[in-house]
Amino acid sequence: MKIAPRPLVALLLTVFGCAAARAGDGPPGEDQDLNLIPQTAPATPQPGAPLAAGALQKIYVEDAVTGSWLRGSLVAAPPPLPPRWEERALLDVRKEWHLDDALRFLYSGRLNLRAEEGLGFPNHENLTSDLREAYLSWEPRERLFFDVGRINLKSGVALGFNPTDYFKTRAVVEPLSVDPVVLREDRLGTLMLRAQRVWDGGSLMAAYAPRVASDSPIYTSFDLRSFNPMFDRTNAHARWLLKGTLDVAYGLSPEVLAYASEGRVRLGANLAESVGQSVVAYLEWSGGRQGSVSEDALAFGRATGGLPAAAAGVLPGLAPVGFRNELAVGASYTTALPKITFNLEFHYEQAGFTGADWAEWFRTGAGAGAGSPLAGALWYVRDYANDQQQLISHRFAFLRMDWVDAFVPKLELSGFIDTDLVDGSLRLQLGADYYLSDRWTVGALALIDSGGRRSDFGSLPQGGSVLLRAVRYF
Amino acid sequence: MKRSVIPALGLALLLAAAAHAQTAAEIVAATDKVRNPAQPFRATLRLTEYIGGRERSHDSMVVFSKEDRGTQQFRNLVQYVEPARDAGKRVLLDGHSLWFYDPDSKVSVRISAQQRLIGQAAIGDILTVNLAADYTPTVLGIEKIDDATRQPRQCWHLDLKARTDAATYNRVEYWVEQGSFYPIKGKFYADSGRLLKIVYFRNFSEQLGAIRPTESIIIDAVDATLATTATLGGYAYQEIPEAWFQRDYLPHLEVK
Repeated sequence: MKIAPRPLVALLLTVFGCAAARAGDGPPGEDQDLNLIPQTAPATPQPGAPLAAGALQKIYVEDAVTGSWLRGSLVAAPPPLPPRWEERALLDVRKEWHLDDALRFLYSGRLNLRAEEGLGFPNHENLTSDLREAYLSWEPRERLFFDVGRINLKSGVALGFNPTDYFKTRAVVEPLSVDPVVLREDRLGTLMLRAQRVWDGGSLMAAYAPRVASDSPIYTSFDLRSFNPMFDRTNAHARWLLKGTLDVAYGLSPEVLAYASEGRVRLGANLAESVGQSVVAYLEWSGGRQGSVSEDALAFGRATGGLPAAAAGVLPGLAPVGFRNELAVGASYTTALPKITFNLEFHYEQAGFTGADWAEWFRTGAGAGAGSPLAGALWYVRDYANDQQQLISHRFAFLRMDWVDAFVPKLELSGFIDTDLVDGSLRLQLGADYYLSDRWTVGALALIDSGGRRSDFGSLPQGGSVLLRAVRYF
Repeated sequence: MKRSVIPALGLALLLAAAAHAQTAAEIVAATDKVRNPAQPFRATLRLTEYIGGRERSHDSMVVFSKEDRGTQQFRNLVQYVEPARDAGKRVLLDGHSLWFYDPDSKVSVRISAQQRLIGQAAIGDILTVNLAADYTPTVLGIEKIDDATRQPRQCWHLDLKARTDAATYNRVEYWVEQGSFYPIKGKFYADSGRLLKIVYFRNFSEQLGAIRPTESIIIDAVDATLATTATLGGYAYQEIPEAWFQRDYLPHLEVK
């Protein structure tokens, strides 16, 4: 054994004594570092158990006020116009209970107190409850899981658009922001049975969501139900999802998916891989049978009574059901200093509007009066795409930035630019959150939709908005 | 007189030669063992952040740690407990396979090695790193430096150069106490040569059968007003199956 035993080291120190110590004393600057140590007593080791309780819940209250400005002289005015102000106070709870060693119950929900222009007060829509999740999770054998209840099942490695996130349709409820990250959080789960097995080299998951309700018309902020799980949004059709991951090489584990609903099957894939120290490249694809966005909107509108049959004659881009692709490909890049992470993505929606479709939409819309059935039919397609979390146009470029400790510690700046590559219009959002303490956060958000009058974002009735918020965590 | 001096000098030279028989690699391996238990374990990590010497915020997390026999590097699963806004967030740190899971968005996002360093969870990863696996060390000399409590310690001064892509920092200066192999101080450098962090180890106590440092003070060398104390406690051996290091296991990770 080469490592010298302690007595030998001690003897050496004795032999060479102080002279050696003086000769080898650290450089004077080395001990200057000690002055940077905060003057605090050394902590004693923490016991583990009390700490763990905090991991099982997240509870906060938030108050947010939003002001928006609307555009005049729209090519086609949507019915109804969005509110110019909104005030929202909410209580958000996520909590899990361990019923025994193998059984857990998980709950996630939000209680909203809302007031906005045109809503009226008091009104039963002033108070709404979003039941995001409530399910039992059972692990009868190690790493074999069975879940039953309302579950938010999400998929996808991209940030701005997730073609493989099949349970996103109709599930987003009154988000405070259009940031895709927020849209993932403010949504209802689906009533389902789920089984999952995780083993050393991968995992396999199967989920079945039964039909327990019928399709309903697209909701607006004026007809939300107070205390209703709204299964009509999540369980109007039976749905299947099968997905698995497999380690094919060190650090490389692609995910494949198969999804079925209403007689249509979609296949999907997710792949993410590190490139060097600072970059992660990723790809998310889904393909399967679907109609164009107008075709599917028309079918949905007819089924739910939201759209007159005559709309078929005015909607642009009608095309029958066929194999269509959706794609999100991009990369994240993180800088060492300052601490900024960028995500740049390209989004493709084969079912979305082409330039010719947009031209037709605006040509038809120019002759439609405000509040007319024709304008309503045209806007219905866009509302439908939004409700389905589907892209309205063929191609988008998405850039997101997140800057931690921006300028000062505890200030986080984030923002994104979503550009419709078909017409060059864009949506810009900038946000700032300042962590006042471990319990308090204050923040602000600014949104601008920019573009020509006959463009995707430029034709929206809302030109922009500003949101101020304060959050208290418990 | 000369006859008695010469054997004494010879003995001293022999002892010195014996001391140099400890290679730098062996010193680093020995000090790694002081910091890290040999078997899979869990521990709680409490971080206190200081700005200008004043306490600013607290983070608490549970760390599950297991050595990869292939790379001889520790893989970590980290679950946030505090602050409340981050409660339940999880990070998988397994060499190049780095994933972040947020129970609010319910998706796992792959992160880069650089992005990992933004979050406080990386501190758990840094504290359990086996330096011997990823760095080539050399002994620069023997120095007496003050430890975090201003007690003088006779140390090997080591220079560690990254030799694998898995190494978080390009270069590390490390002071290890002779005899005990206690880590006393470290300086961590970026690829550019810029000093990023200074770490002092203190509060040595018996944990899982050995004397280990239970507190580290991490000083931000870029902004010297920032410092973080990291306190490890609640050590316990725990069986950690390989499947836990699958990204799809992250939503199921339980802190009981």
